[in-house]
Amino acid sequence: MEVTRRDLLKGAAALGAAAAVPLTPAGARAQTTQKKELIIGQGGDISKFDPHFSTSSNDIRISFNVYDNLVSRRPDGKLHPGLATEWKTQGATTWVFKVRQGVKWHNGDPFSSADAKFSLERTFDPNMKTRVNTVFTTIDRIEAPDAGTLIIHTKKPDPLLPARLAFYGGQIVPKKYLEAVGGDTFNAKPVGTGPVQFVSWTKDDKVVLDANPNYWGGRIDVDRVIFRAIPEMAPRIAALLKGEVDVITQLPPDQGDRVNANASTRVAGALYAGLYVLAVNSKIKPLDNPLVKQALSLGIDREAIVKELWRGRGIVPSGPIARGDNHFDASLPPLAYKPKEARERLKKAGYKNEEIVIETTSGYTANDKPMSEAIAAMWKDVGVNAKVEIVEYSVRAQKNRDKSFKGLWWSDPTSTLGDPDGMMWRLLAPGGPQDYWRHAKFDELGEAARFSIDEKFRGQAYKDMTKVFLEHLPWVPVIQPYEDYGLQKYVDWTPNPNQQFEIRRFNFKMRRA
Amino acid sequence: MRGFLPFLGHRLFRAVIALWLVSTVVFVVMRLSGDPVPLLLPPDAPRSEIFRVRAELGLDRPLPVQYGVFLANLARGDFGRSIHFREPAFSVVRGYLAATLELGLTAFVLAALVAVPIGLFSAMRRNTLVDHAAMGVALVGQSAPTFFLGILFILLLSLKADLFPTSGRGDWRHLVLPALTLGAFTMASIARLTRSAVLEVLGADYIRTARAKGVSERWVVAKHTLKNAAIPIVTITGLQFGTLLGGAVVTETVFSWPGIGRLAIQSIYNRDYPVVQCTVFLAALLFIVINFFIDLVYGLLDPRIRAG
Repeated sequence: MEVTRRDLLKGAAALGAAAAVPLTPAGARAQTTQKKELIIGQGGDISKFDPHFSTSSNDIRISFNVYDNLVSRRPDGKLHPGLATEWKTQGATTWVFKVRQGVKWHNGDPFSSADAKFSLERTFDPNMKTRVNTVFTTIDRIEAPDAGTLIIHTKKPDPLLPARLAFYGGQIVPKKYLEAVGGDTFNAKPVGTGPVQFVSWTKDDKVVLDANPNYWGGRIDVDRVIFRAIPEMAPRIAALLKGEVDVITQLPPDQGDRVNANASTRVAGALYAGLYVLAVNSKIKPLDNPLVKQALSLGIDREAIVKELWRGRGIVPSGPIARGDNHFDASLPPLAYKPKEARERLKKAGYKNEEIVIETTSGYTANDKPMSEAIAAMWKDVGVNAKVEIVEYSVRAQKNRDKSFKGLWWSDPTSTLGDPDGMMWRLLAPGGPQDYWRHAKFDELGEAARFSIDEKFRGQAYKDMTKVFLEHLPWVPVIQPYEDYGLQKYVDWTPNPNQQFEIRRFNFKMRRA
Repeated sequence: MRGFLPFLGHRLFRAVIALWLVSTVVFVVMRLSGDPVPLLLPPDAPRSEIFRVRAELGLDRPLPVQYGVFLANLARGDFGRSIHFREPAFSVVRGYLAATLELGLTAFVLAALVAVPIGLFSAMRRNTLVDHAAMGVALVGQSAPTFFLGILFILLLSLKADLFPTSGRGDWRHLVLPALTLGAFTMASIARLTRSAVLEVLGADYIRTARAKGVSERWVVAKHTLKNAAIPIVTITGLQFGTLLGGAVVTETVFSWPGIGRLAIQSIYNRDYPVVQCTVFLAALLFIVINFFIDLVYGLLDPRIRAG
């Protein structure tokens, strides 16, 4: 029998069709699910359930779902009603919030404005030593005249108060329960008003949460939500590809193709509401010289970093304000790479080859170590005596506290308010966590912008502050990255740029057949 | 059994000394590693606050006083309260210890069950293809880093072959890959040592005598060889248990296994002195207890040890 090319092709086609048959239903199945359980694999275990004692991203993914805030910032960046249904100002320094009626805590107690007053006051009560004690420093006093009304008096006009209430520190905790059982028991057996309620926590393994059947925002689409701690990246991705988990966090940029290439999974990303910057200890020589810092900034090829280390999953910043924030100036050009000019400015600064150290963590933020090494190499090319030192995370925390960094270090400031006040002013203000540099005009404008209700004035103030910033560079901004998640295709979910992980009904559902 | 009680007493005394030394070293090293208080408070907390918390935790007292308190509490079985978790250190460690024991003992039993027959078989088929193949695999098992093996197992046996879950703790299927990964080194070491121990015995005069008087080969191996080769095998097996506890850190991380290795590392980062002290103390205790039983096994295997 003579076999022609055509026969061979036909045979191959038939084989292909036969192989494809069992794949099609499986492929279609992968797009929908009957699962009533949502499993999230994240890079670390939760450390605290008490929302006022942690701001770490592994913790707030859970605490923003166990608890509600008065105001909610959704992934669209806008403020929506939360436990407060509406709010308005009365005069310059008084805000009146209408508090949602009929809401119950997970233990059945009724929620009222007294809980909200208690929660907010708890954050800045010096005896409580909370981790969020600086969030509501603009508040003077709070009243709860009746169960449905909350009145907040601010020290000066505070246009961003609703935004402050929407992020960490603003989670509302139960007054009666907390006072009855104390902080430690509350942390071990948390009670909130949110869409999921606490069931169990096996340390370094998983947190199990059940859907709150009476959630005021509507019961979510699954019965149970499990957060698993999978610290290593490779097993985390394997767990997603194999279908053991439905969502994974902290998907590195170089793994996106793999997740997208897999038939049943996809990547969902959001441009981070914040920046990755090299913060500068401007108090030590030669980093006290603005010309040196300008040279360092001009010596970084950010395009190459975005392209090579981030596979394009990021944008080059133009200044200290993240894209997507209030008063982001779209007309400013991205920070430029000009090696020749960098060399000239070093010369002009009288730079004497002093060692300039980047103290980097390894894996605290994505790509921190590879970026440090790339940047040090770029700096060497323009004549900077650059050195990379690797420090462990707890050492970084200690240095942060003692303000003992030797030169530059990675910081990933989150824009907590969708406004420069919650980012550069929160961190760089006098007495703030990154107070290494002072400039009279910058300080004056930052303070005035914080307390002005005139958005036009505020806009101009941040423009002028940006100008000062770009001359003095208390931070050397490097990238505004995308934060990527891996999802099963049957999960409909939109990431929030500010790392808030919303599994409320408006933002999450499973595709059903 | 002559002198068993003095033997026991001597052993116990040495165990207590070892535990005291281990606890003291950990106490000193942890205090050298830095202050836990900055990690507990917000970055902008005032100095007065730091001093207050330090006093609350008893960290403001002189080191010898802290050490005295530590030893006194230890004698009562009190490891103090975890600085990070705000609960008794022992109750924190207990949960993790169960997970580590589950993993460690499985790896240990798996290693011994697989390795001894392989070593024996290799020795009896010395210089055949089987021997070379088995020892080749053992060499890989001994030299491949745990991290690499773990990820390889996940990719091949879990993701591709779909035999086991990728990570986490659950039913027996969750246990297989981490136990294989953790046990690989031990398995390889025991297999290689079994082979050489058996080979050595097989060359001994009494084996030749046994064969000469017509004892069947099976009986030669079962009665004369294995028992005499057992001492070095049992020794290395006991020592390897320590390696298993130490190696658990990497395996636990790769497989998201909630064991004491990961807890210890996290607690060192958090400078959670009581948890680190409790973890190391219990691990040392476990190691000492296991080796104590191995010493007893020696006595059973070889009467000369008991006598000496």
